[in-house]
Amino acid sequence: MMIAEQHTTMTDATPANIAELPDDIVNALAVSPRFARDSVCFAARNSGLYRSDDAGQSWQFAYRSLLLDAPLTTTAVVVSPEFDTDHTVFAGAHGGVLRSLDGGATWQITMLPSPPPLVTSLAISPNFANDGVVFAGTLEDGVFRSDNRGSSWAAWNFGLLDLNVLSMAISPTFERDEMLFAGTGSGLFRSTNGGRAWREVDLPVEFTAMLSLAIASVDDNASMVFAGTEDHGLLASDNGGRAWRRLGEDVLQDAVNSIVPAPRFSASPDMLVLLSDMLVLSRDAGESWAVCLLDDGDAPGIAAVAAPLGLGPGAPLLVGLIDGGVLRQSL
Amino acid sequence: MSDHASPRVVFYPRSHQGIQKGVNQLAAVVRPTLGPCPRTVAVESTFRDKAPELLDSAGVITRRIIQLPERDADVGAMLLRHVLWRVHDEVGDGTATAAVLFQTVYNHGLKYIAAGGNAIQLRRYLEAGMQDILDELDRMTVRLEGQEQLTRLAESLCYDPSLAKLLGEMFDIVGEYGQVDIRIGYGRQLERQYVEGMYWSSGVLSPRMFTDQVKLRADLTNAALLISDLEIDDPRQFMPVIDTIMERQIQTFVIVAEKLSDNVITFLLSASRDPERLQIVATRTPGSGAIEQMVAMEDLAILTGGRPLIKAAGNTLRQFKIAHLGHARRVWADGSYLGIIGGKGDPRMLRRQIASLRAAYKTASEPQQRASLQQRIGKFMGGSATLLVGGSTDSETNVREEQARKTSTLLRAALHEGVLPGGGLALLACRNRLRQRLETSACLDEQTAYRILIRALEEPLRTIATNAGHDAAAVMAQVSQAAPGWGLDARSGEIVDMAESGIYDVAAAQKAAIRGAVSGAATALTVDTVIHKRNPEAVTGRP
Repeated sequence: MMIAEQHTTMTDATPANIAELPDDIVNALAVSPRFARDSVCFAARNSGLYRSDDAGQSWQFAYRSLLLDAPLTTTAVVVSPEFDTDHTVFAGAHGGVLRSLDGGATWQITMLPSPPPLVTSLAISPNFANDGVVFAGTLEDGVFRSDNRGSSWAAWNFGLLDLNVLSMAISPTFERDEMLFAGTGSGLFRSTNGGRAWREVDLPVEFTAMLSLAIASVDDNASMVFAGTEDHGLLASDNGGRAWRRLGEDVLQDAVNSIVPAPRFSASPDMLVLLSDMLVLSRDAGESWAVCLLDDGDAPGIAAVAAPLGLGPGAPLLVGLIDGGVLRQSL
Repeated sequence: MSDHASPRVVFYPRSHQGIQKGVNQLAAVVRPTLGPCPRTVAVESTFRDKAPELLDSAGVITRRIIQLPERDADVGAMLLRHVLWRVHDEVGDGTATAAVLFQTVYNHGLKYIAAGGNAIQLRRYLEAGMQDILDELDRMTVRLEGQEQLTRLAESLCYDPSLAKLLGEMFDIVGEYGQVDIRIGYGRQLERQYVEGMYWSSGVLSPRMFTDQVKLRADLTNAALLISDLEIDDPRQFMPVIDTIMERQIQTFVIVAEKLSDNVITFLLSASRDPERLQIVATRTPGSGAIEQMVAMEDLAILTGGRPLIKAAGNTLRQFKIAHLGHARRVWADGSYLGIIGGKGDPRMLRRQIASLRAAYKTASEPQQRASLQQRIGKFMGGSATLLVGGSTDSETNVREEQARKTSTLLRAALHEGVLPGGGLALLACRNRLRQRLETSACLDEQTAYRILIRALEEPLRTIATNAGHDAAAVMAQVSQAAPGWGLDARSGEIVDMAESGIYDVAAAQKAAIRGAVSGAATALTVDTVIHKRNPEAVTGRP
């Protein structure tokens, strides 16, 4: 059961013309890897990117330095695994990727080749401090890869037979296996060479849209891959995507929009899944599921979710809403 | 009149002696080329002032041997040559292995027949044993994955670490069907380029349509494509098409057509005089000949979601509807090519097309047909790679280019069908299965067939060892006592874990060698009579 603590809105220090957007949905949430210490998190909204330094209680407009005269819709956000030392944040927008090296205070924009694609997802190497690799999935132009910490980007789409990328997930052991997945409008693709080439993954369902992906580390050599589909529920693979099984077939019949597995999945096989209008939680690797009701019964639909400190009992959750608000709750 | 001029019938045993002589001569020529330490074969040039060709590829050497002076021996050599050609054409390697296998099976088979054995029964059991060997090779075959494994295989094929590194990377990226072009470069080094999207041999129909007049290239974004093989003479035929395009506020229009008259081109240029409003580029229909053009139009249509207007189907521009248009994120064209990046065809249709082309590829028997299917699948995979081969001298560059082509062909075959422990070890390991057969057989013909095959399976390793300057008998003893998977690293002379050391053979080449050699030799053993026809070239005194 989640406990609603507070429903915050993002008007703090926000330019008036941006705050008044009627459809200011929260597209993505990202949290600092040292959230327990620094409480930093980001919310990507249609009106731009927002940063909170107090675990989501208050939010500041992060694009202030850009002096925008129109909203810069932000569709994706990721934070460096070494955020506390490199302060690097990437944000995806229509036509380009923004990079901040100071935690969101100032930004550099890299435009992707014309015609401008919409960045739908970002994935950052767990070994970013050393390899500087980051990926941007786009609608219509496939996957762009940067191996110089986001300074420049190049499309790498060999074998990616559907360039409408909706989701991405990177292996926790990317340094060794160079594996990542791209979910597209009509199926799932895997790369085992650091995103330079892709091969279609055989799934029990054909040509389904892959709305969400996540990879949980099981141990040093193994991981679980989860794929959320539009109309065939949640799929899981424990062998790097070679074989798949469907989880929670009776419960998860809706579109699976987001998957949040516990960071130490082998120790506590917890998993939170965002369906089209509700959150469901499993504490047994997807065998059984329970609906998580928002205590704020009047809250509008859920658009994004983040679990900054894992999924243990009482752990905090950030729930992004379709009206732009972010609920802070506890599990 | 020479020996080659008159018609003649040659009977047993002279026929066997002649054929054996020819087989042995040709096998002896290519034998030194087997393995990682090949000797070269000098082939005299037909032109007196040219130096002899120095060759170390059994496939190429075989092609150079046209005729032996003795007619009976020539028949034997041509029997073997035909087998070697087939093996070379099929996979581009395995020729020398096939030669030593063929020679061993034929020589030992002949001894048995001379002692009263039944050639037909022997052939039957040799072919049964061959199937056992192929099954065993299938069982041992492993798939290669990843750049590191591909690079190691490439290095064991070409012995050129820098070439192997680039080819390993390229095939890891483009995959088994991907397009890899190998060209002579301008520098001294090897370079590789990756091209996003796919391209066809085509070309802009008028240089005035280039959007970049300096680079002589047209680059278009969010383009609509009319795909056709039509020949249009009258600009009036295009008027309703252009009207529809403008009504729909399409700003970038690519016309693919077999031919447009000067008047049509002038009309199209005038229609696109304001590039902010409408930009038109016309390119030639890709492919030469009706079939190639049809294939290219079908592929373009699937890629872009368009419906082609086809001359042979009676289509004209009058039938044009907006649904005929394909769409792409980016289109480029220059004087020679038409390229598409991000075609907006249905990705499901695209995958179904690839699946059907792959199925056709697996059943295609003709190398040309397979190459064409592979090229089509490669185009759909979304990119291609080009290796530019450089060198200090022309001859160094040419040799390296040839080596790159051969390695590239074998890497592709390895990706398709996997690899086996190299250095003749996989063939040697097949002996156990034949020994089991031998133990349970009560038929002398059958036992002999298996004994012959067991002996033949040892011959590639013996030859590799000898060619590398090692004592073949000692190597055989060491390998026999070694753990499974351990064999000879011919370059170092050490017994090593072949997989660990990255010493592989391409499974397709080994299987083709076994198939060609055993069935070819088994058939040759049944030849008792040779008929020499009258040779008109010899009569007229021509060589």
